[in-house]
Amino acid sequence: MTATLEPLPTTAAPVRPAVELTGVGKVFGRRRGAVVALDGVDLRVAPGEFVCLLGASGCGKSTLLNLIAGLDEPSTGTVSVGSRRPAVMFQEAALMPWLTAARNVELALRLAGVGRTRRRAKAEELLELVRLGGQGDRRPHELSGGMRQRVALARSLASTIGADAGPGLLLMDEPFAALDAITRDLLQGELLRVWRGTGAAVLFVTHDVREAVRLGQRVVLLSSRPGRVVQEWATEPDAPLVEQINARLRRELSSHAA
Amino acid sequence: MPPSGGVQIDSAAAAGLDALDTPPDQPRRPLARRLAATALPPLAALVLAIGVWQALWASALWPEYRLPAPLAVWRVIWGLGSDGEAAGILWTSVHRAVLGFAAAVLIATPLGLLVAKAPVVRAAIGPLLSGLQSLPSVAWVPAAVLWFGLTDWAMYTVVLLGSVPSVANGLVAGIDQIPPILPRVGKVLGAGRLAAARHILMPAALPGYLAGLKQGWAFSWRSLMAAELIATSPQLGLGLGTFLDNGRALSDMPMVLAAIFLILLVGIGIELLVFRPVERYVLRTRGLSGSLP
Repeated sequence: MTATLEPLPTTAAPVRPAVELTGVGKVFGRRRGAVVALDGVDLRVAPGEFVCLLGASGCGKSTLLNLIAGLDEPSTGTVSVGSRRPAVMFQEAALMPWLTAARNVELALRLAGVGRTRRRAKAEELLELVRLGGQGDRRPHELSGGMRQRVALARSLASTIGADAGPGLLLMDEPFAALDAITRDLLQGELLRVWRGTGAAVLFVTHDVREAVRLGQRVVLLSSRPGRVVQEWATEPDAPLVEQINARLRRELSSHAA
Repeated sequence: MPPSGGVQIDSAAAAGLDALDTPPDQPRRPLARRLAATALPPLAALVLAIGVWQALWASALWPEYRLPAPLAVWRVIWGLGSDGEAAGILWTSVHRAVLGFAAAVLIATPLGLLVAKAPVVRAAIGPLLSGLQSLPSVAWVPAAVLWFGLTDWAMYTVVLLGSVPSVANGLVAGIDQIPPILPRVGKVLGAGRLAAARHILMPAALPGYLAGLKQGWAFSWRSLMAAELIATSPQLGLGLGTFLDNGRALSDMPMVLAAIFLILLVGIGIELLVFRPVERYVLRTRGLSGSLP
């Protein structure tokens, strides 16, 4: 046994992590029919950090996200979240089909307690952020899948406003899995841009290794049934060829811009 | 690192993809053509039906008191309209139906919410509520007359009992069909129970609720006509159902047919003027108007 000293904190006040899970377990059902979804998961996400949670089906990725989002309670262990109300994005955009894009964002602001006068301006600002400025009065069925998912991103960001002043936390449950490859690639770029712009911590659940490597600063691999942390990697910048091809593809697409 | 100018290219690429991906706007046909497309076929059907009727009458297969001429029926309606009697009759019936229906909506809406969201309540009265839909509301007429006598209140009661199950069941069905992701979104956005009901549950259930309202209105109107047919008394005033019953008592076939036409006219009129436009608007804003002409 070797005793190692903890490195001294560089700042005077210890920074509160955006997410801290200690020994989190989750069991569904009871006795014989019980399914252990998560078992002894320890995970820490620093403020402003982008972490990708990777795993095959049944690894409890979504369960883990639900626990952090407060949609469910852990069976064992503790979940502590830095921001009071994390922003959540699902695989479906799940926009309210009877509201326009802007009204969808405004609904989140309203539920977050933002006053009427600030709502409109703030919603327009958020739509601007996801490059949907001026498209606010279109309805979800008049938007493409990628645009809907960007409205959902704007809406989830809106829900963090008014809750607390600190940098937020974005929980994303395979948000791009239902999109075509080209749109997905563009939205990954958009997400990185928004992330750098807002300084929020992101916990991104995916089953796509390439997506995890491209987006995350850290990739955490979970095992399946029960879900446990298997290994973690810090990522490196993308392979140059992928970037090259992507850049060329984008130039091609940009020729269609109105 | 992305190549220089990456941000601008990204922005343009996103705009280009949006332009390629966006579902194209459906060009709406001009108003005149839309009107022609929706109004002409039923008009043609009506003209055809009257033509057949006229031909049958002219062939004199049945005596006049069984099959009167279209013109004779028209004269009764025209006579009612020109001396203002029709307005009185229609008003008596329509205002009863509207008041009874409005009360039914006020009762059925919280009831439907309760049945949909409280499992105990659903287990207790859900089957009863569905079962009541198949009970002909005429069955309530004797009870209503015994409770309230031959008054307008008996009429309102029959109308109300006839439509509450439809409206409540419509709302329950509407809530049951909400995609489960929407309430979850409400939860992660921090909506409490009341806010969720107001901002998510009710608007999401609106199409089902509207269908329930439409059916509830039809049931209201039907049960009112039945009630007016059965419970006739001078103190009740002359409604459409009573008018129909008077026609039967006088063996006046043109009067009977005129009454049936007026009853039908009100039913179709309310459907076309009230429910159809609201339904169209609701479905169109949600992109569900594919089956609408």
